[in-house]
Amino acid sequence: MRRRDFLKVAATSATGAVLFAGCGRIGDGVPETEFKIAQPVHTPNDWVYGRDAWFATAAPPEQGGYGLIVRVFEGRAKKVDGNPDFPGVLGKSDARAQALVQELYHPDRITGPQRASTRGGQVQSISWDDALQEVVGILREAGGERAVLITGRPSSSQAAIIAAFRQATGIRHAILEPDEFVALRTAMRRLFGTSMLPIPDLANAAFLLNFSAEFLHGWIAPVALARAYGAFRQGHSGHRGLYYHVGPRLSATAANADRWFPIVPGSEGLVALGIANVLLTEGKLPAERFQPYLAALGLDAARLTSDYTPERVAEASGLGAEQIRELAHALIEHQPAVVIAGTNAAATTNGLFNLVAAFGLNLVLGTVDQPGGLLLNPEPVLPELRVPDDAILNQQQWAQLVEQIRSGSVSTVLVHRANPVYSLPATLGVADALRAAQHVVSFSPFFDETTLLADLVLPDLVWLEQWGLQVPDPGPGYAAVAIQQPVVQPFADGRAFGDVLIQLAQQLGKPLPWASQEEATKTLALGLRQVSGGNIRAGNDSEFLVTLQAQGGWWSEGTRGQAGTPATAIVQPRDPEFAGDAGQYPLLLLPYPSPAIGYGEFAHLPWLQALPEPISTNVWQTWIEVGQRTADELGLTTGDVVRVSTPQGTVELPVYVNPAGQPGIVAIPFGQGHTAFGRYAEGRGLNPLAIVAPQSDPDAGTLAWCATRCRLEKTGRRTRLARFEGMVPAFQLEEFPIVRVMPPSA
Amino acid sequence: MRYVRVLLFVLVVLVIMAVPLALVLARSYFLAPTAQPVKAQPIQFPHQVHVQAIGLDCTFCHRNATTSAQATLPPIELCMQCHKVIPTQGRPELEKLVAAFEQNQPILWNKVHQIPDHTHFVHSVHLSFGFQCSTCHGDVGAMGKPGVQQVRDLRMGDCITCHQQNGARTDCSVCHY
Repeated sequence: MRRRDFLKVAATSATGAVLFAGCGRIGDGVPETEFKIAQPVHTPNDWVYGRDAWFATAAPPEQGGYGLIVRVFEGRAKKVDGNPDFPGVLGKSDARAQALVQELYHPDRITGPQRASTRGGQVQSISWDDALQEVVGILREAGGERAVLITGRPSSSQAAIIAAFRQATGIRHAILEPDEFVALRTAMRRLFGTSMLPIPDLANAAFLLNFSAEFLHGWIAPVALARAYGAFRQGHSGHRGLYYHVGPRLSATAANADRWFPIVPGSEGLVALGIANVLLTEGKLPAERFQPYLAALGLDAARLTSDYTPERVAEASGLGAEQIRELAHALIEHQPAVVIAGTNAAATTNGLFNLVAAFGLNLVLGTVDQPGGLLLNPEPVLPELRVPDDAILNQQQWAQLVEQIRSGSVSTVLVHRANPVYSLPATLGVADALRAAQHVVSFSPFFDETTLLADLVLPDLVWLEQWGLQVPDPGPGYAAVAIQQPVVQPFADGRAFGDVLIQLAQQLGKPLPWASQEEATKTLALGLRQVSGGNIRAGNDSEFLVTLQAQGGWWSEGTRGQAGTPATAIVQPRDPEFAGDAGQYPLLLLPYPSPAIGYGEFAHLPWLQALPEPISTNVWQTWIEVGQRTADELGLTTGDVVRVSTPQGTVELPVYVNPAGQPGIVAIPFGQGHTAFGRYAEGRGLNPLAIVAPQSDPDAGTLAWCATRCRLEKTGRRTRLARFEGMVPAFQLEEFPIVRVMPPSA
Repeated sequence: MRYVRVLLFVLVVLVIMAVPLALVLARSYFLAPTAQPVKAQPIQFPHQVHVQAIGLDCTFCHRNATTSAQATLPPIELCMQCHKVIPTQGRPELEKLVAAFEQNQPILWNKVHQIPDHTHFVHSVHLSFGFQCSTCHGDVGAMGKPGVQQVRDLRMGDCITCHQQNGARTDCSVCHY
């Protein structure tokens, strides 16, 4: 380059960069109401002493529904923490709970009801009266069986309101939960006759055997389990809990284990059967304990001992036969022991079998509902608070529903806090079906991919602005209910979803039993007063409610979970299957939920986007994790952009080389790839569902997103990954030599 | 001649480097909280009248400043203790106050001094150390209509500098706890 050109380029780029960065002003994008301070007419209690007030409330259902407290002053929620009194969490919380305040002040919150001129086109603000009137008109014209209400997992009080609304209007209800939880609930029904999730009593266990469940980073109850894990490791003088992890990927949870047993994805169930084989043949446990286990799997003792020997299982799983014996012996030597399974184990073509085979080991060990074992949770003490099992759809049922929407037999779609366009695989064609639907109404407070296809948007309030009751799922092993109360005045012109349903029913001439979501919450809460054994002693209803709100919940340690009658369907052992020819696609693709942004439901919160993935320390993007040996074979280093091809499609992603990655397996985190959902989520990375083959588990009917083969090709391009680790070159200190990871070829 | 060309080149490079530097400094200057215009408020409240003309102390209205973390706004009922006997006719700003009280509606002020939620600032500690309100807020008592303006940066650098100058701790946990 000539000197003159250099000067021109340098001057232009430097000035341009600074000007670009300088555009804007302080508070850009901050909602107008964020920095308001309300001067009340009369002195509120929390102003008398000029100190922050802490209000108790509850975490959303997708975070486990446990008790929280929120620091509030001058009408502004400042900090979220765990409720110190609430069972299970005892004052702990996690990043997802902390980030709830960012929903309150999110610059892309929908500020009031909107009507779209065309689907996905311009929207205009309308009044609440007009919006409700229009929805009433839609439900009159095409309600009842022709309408479906799609929600995420509702809070317990929302479930009560929705049930009453269904009864009044005849509308259908469909709940969209991640497939791994659908499979897990099915497994619990099969083994224990309950669809409430269980919780391992880690705090009192001596040994944990975990099959792929990311229990410290997401999964079903990361806060309660992380707290219990602390007690498991360090809470007892003289002994430290022992943790073995069996799974295909060295995740952050697996990295906490004393030993990691790397296996072929989907072979968790086979390993569990191999362990059962050793326990039975060595006669270390009473033979009758194996009966319910064998019955659930349609096996008998002879077949277990002959077909699932450690040698046979070792061949299929990638472990050694001795390692399987070692796992079985550890279960006997370290009592009480507990076995859990989940995440990737639930997302293969034999996911339900994996879960039943692994959780069933607790029956064999005799530790179900025992201290240090697997604690079952009771059904909600009030029947109104149950989330209906029949409304939770599996992948096959979603395909049927989408087809009904496309064909017009379901012409009205109401969507609340669910994003089927993003969360269901593109092969189902949800977006096209919604475009074909006659009416689409969204109740989301954010313009996500589904809400963009709505004709009308009636924004819900965010979690910290609402009333509700929440049965934690999983609970602490006994009956518990958290109360959710608004900690601040609404920052937008939204209405609580329950209030909207109540008002719609009223206008349809079919009033529900309550006048508002607040009244429903309090009426249902007073039902708890009639249940004996609770923690609240109160002389009258008012005192009961005040105490309930101050403590943040109701719980009864005497009301414990117990096994019901297991479902009769047999879950046959089966090997995992993978889409794609092994010759053409030599690698196995292993998507996994992001510890911070989950399956993408938290991608709109910048704190969670910026939270480093614990193993790679990557943030704000999607990458493909490749093991060191595979990377060496393909000549890849961190930052190389590769073409990832599966039978379903091809995408390009940057590589992150994980020195501990299994050869032949590549992993991609879920969570990114949003085309809407606010400025922090849009246009980042990739949704792995785009390249996952539409395989399903025939037993549970769930999507097997962990059953696709792939291949990688270098593009020759490189990009820079945003991450913490390795950004500054390490330097050698004499007293602390750096541990070098050598490639296997060296 | 060769040296002149090299010198010229170095000068041009320096000028090029100075441009972004100047822009960064300008951005910092113009976007500083103290450089922002006075925020519009629902009522043009004249501190000057209450402090200089009437002689009220800051803590007459901001009652918790000396005892608590927050200085707190006075509730409207405190304003009305005096204003119920002060004529409002022809005084549109006062009419707004009385209307809010009679309609039981809170007044939504635009916050002038905004410290981030993850920072704890305790008014009482600073006042008991001997600082005046004006140390941070400036001479609010002299500010009339349309309202209060922020006169001090009050960002982290400002806090740390002041702590260092006055021998206070500067650990993270002093403010971020």
